[in-house]
Amino acid sequence: MLKTRQFLTLAQMTAVEAIRQPICLLLAISGIILTGITPLVVIYKFGEDGKLARDSGLAFHLIFGLIIAAYSASTSLAKELRTGTASSILSKPVSRNTLFLAKFTGITSVIILFSITAIAATMLSERIDQKFIFTNTMSGYFTDWHTGILLLAAPFVALLLAGIINYITRRPFESFAFMLLVTCVLGAFVISGFFDRIGHLAPLDYQVDWRLLPAGLLITAALIVITAIATTISTRFNTVLTITSCMAILMIGLVADYVLGHNANSSYLTSGIYKLIPNWQNFWVSDALTGGGHIPWNYVATTFIYAATYTAGVLCLGILSFKHKEVT
Amino acid sequence: MKSLQPTPTPIVQINTLTKIFRDFWHRPKARAVNNLSLNIYPGEIFGLLGPNGSGKSTTIKILLGLLHPSSGTVTVLGSKPQNVITKNEIGYLPEESHLYKHLTARESLDFYGKLFDINKEERRKRTDELLDMVGLTHAADRMIGEFSKGMARRIGLAQALINDPKLIILDEPTSGLDPIGCRQVKDLIIALAKRGKTILLSSHLLADVEDVCDQVTILFNGSIRASGSVTQLLEKRDSIRLTIPTLSPEKLKEVLNVIRKKIGSEPEIDHPSLNLEQFFLQVVAKANETEAENMSGAASDTKVAAFLKTENQQPKINN
Repeated sequence: MLKTRQFLTLAQMTAVEAIRQPICLLLAISGIILTGITPLVVIYKFGEDGKLARDSGLAFHLIFGLIIAAYSASTSLAKELRTGTASSILSKPVSRNTLFLAKFTGITSVIILFSITAIAATMLSERIDQKFIFTNTMSGYFTDWHTGILLLAAPFVALLLAGIINYITRRPFESFAFMLLVTCVLGAFVISGFFDRIGHLAPLDYQVDWRLLPAGLLITAALIVITAIATTISTRFNTVLTITSCMAILMIGLVADYVLGHNANSSYLTSGIYKLIPNWQNFWVSDALTGGGHIPWNYVATTFIYAATYTAGVLCLGILSFKHKEVT
Repeated sequence: MKSLQPTPTPIVQINTLTKIFRDFWHRPKARAVNNLSLNIYPGEIFGLLGPNGSGKSTTIKILLGLLHPSSGTVTVLGSKPQNVITKNEIGYLPEESHLYKHLTARESLDFYGKLFDINKEERRKRTDELLDMVGLTHAADRMIGEFSKGMARRIGLAQALINDPKLIILDEPTSGLDPIGCRQVKDLIIALAKRGKTILLSSHLLADVEDVCDQVTILFNGSIRASGSVTQLLEKRDSIRLTIPTLSPEKLKEVLNVIRKKIGSEPEIDHPSLNLEQFFLQVVAKANETEAENMSGAASDTKVAAFLKTENQQPKINN
């Protein structure tokens, strides 16, 4: 039986340990900076305002999120098994199921924090991108430099504040910087709502593309699935093997439609593999936004059910695997 | 005459335990424990002695349900080692102090307290008492990553006691401690046993085991090579030692003559000497009296945390 206090304590510890990894901070900051800088440096528009910023933002969310999820999940349990903290915890009245599920929950909470930040950054990035503006006094293509500066300043403000906190309190820099990054990017998002694209005061006029919200949520679901896969594999393999396996599953899942989809009905083996491998294409719906298209919320709901079912199945395998694992 | 007292039920029962580690292909790799049988009774300080790789830590990990026996049976506090509820009554200090380095000493103890589902007020009280007991009150808010090995060991010991356990399993408890720390830990073990705690102590340091243990089992290559009470095992029953105050040369000669006449051989004479640990502790105690200099590390006077109950008090862990 899961004990709430135990479970939350272990999940919180997992999350803190994950964001204390310098690589986690580095990836999160790189993702946000690249998302923010793309609309300021590109000179092509691919036939539609904001498309490049939108696609790039979602791609950065997916790629950096995947690496954070795979790395954090695979190092978390594997590292605890290697360093002995797992044996220390399992010598207390903590069941293996509790520890395993708390590990998954802890990493998932980090992924959700990163995703919130990445979705906000992508929306701001799309707003920054050059767009045609026509008013009584002016017309032409304008880049939203104010929002650009706000978004790009957020990571640096986060690092500066984390440095000051580290100097005063001696608390770990990385975890504070990660949390401050989330806060600063969300702060930039809120502040941007008080100004229009030209910089005039316009309270609560967000001028962001809200269609990006369901697209970002679907990517978040994909990241949670990969977190479950990595946590499960890490019950048996070390960090390197876990990350390699996750990357292989990711690659196969990305090409599953093209390679296996056409032959799914021709053989049981192909059909079995096609059904077992997560189909990442379900989560990547950027093309649906082209030409003013929308992502229907019922599609989001269906894909979330698919992700939740897949995650639950993978976690069950993980529980079975960890139950008989010898902790040395 | 037969004793009328009933034999107490062992707290730990190991019966023909064998543990074989296997490789990836499930082929036998190493036989860590071989046909081991032993019982540990309530209130005992039981020493598992043996060189590195003799199977001490493997046996302990089987007792904690971390490893699974290849054959044989193991019972801890009347249950299988995998029983999670039984672990409420066990305190474990691992061979290496596996602690989260970014937590302070206080946060670390609080973290382990939460794993036992102890309420906030009780956790705070126990944390304060344990920090005081292991002499780390002054370092309570320092991160464990900044601690010396000895200080981390003391926190490791404190976390093993946060649940007021009935059975305390200590794997190499004095590793990394200076002689004063070693003595304090040994005194603490004795004090805990006086409070009715059962202690399983694993060590390859002979002095540790000799100083504190009632019962000793010596392991080599996973098998028991000797077992019994420390006195039984170490006693030389074919000779006796007589300690008397220093005598004048004439008187000593007279005494020796009498002894020679009675035993028919030459007796051995020497001055009783302190061992190096006792001497070291005397020197440091003297230095402490003269110099009131603050020590940067840990210091304690082997007081036992008040919440660690005696045998006749009911344990109260869950709230």
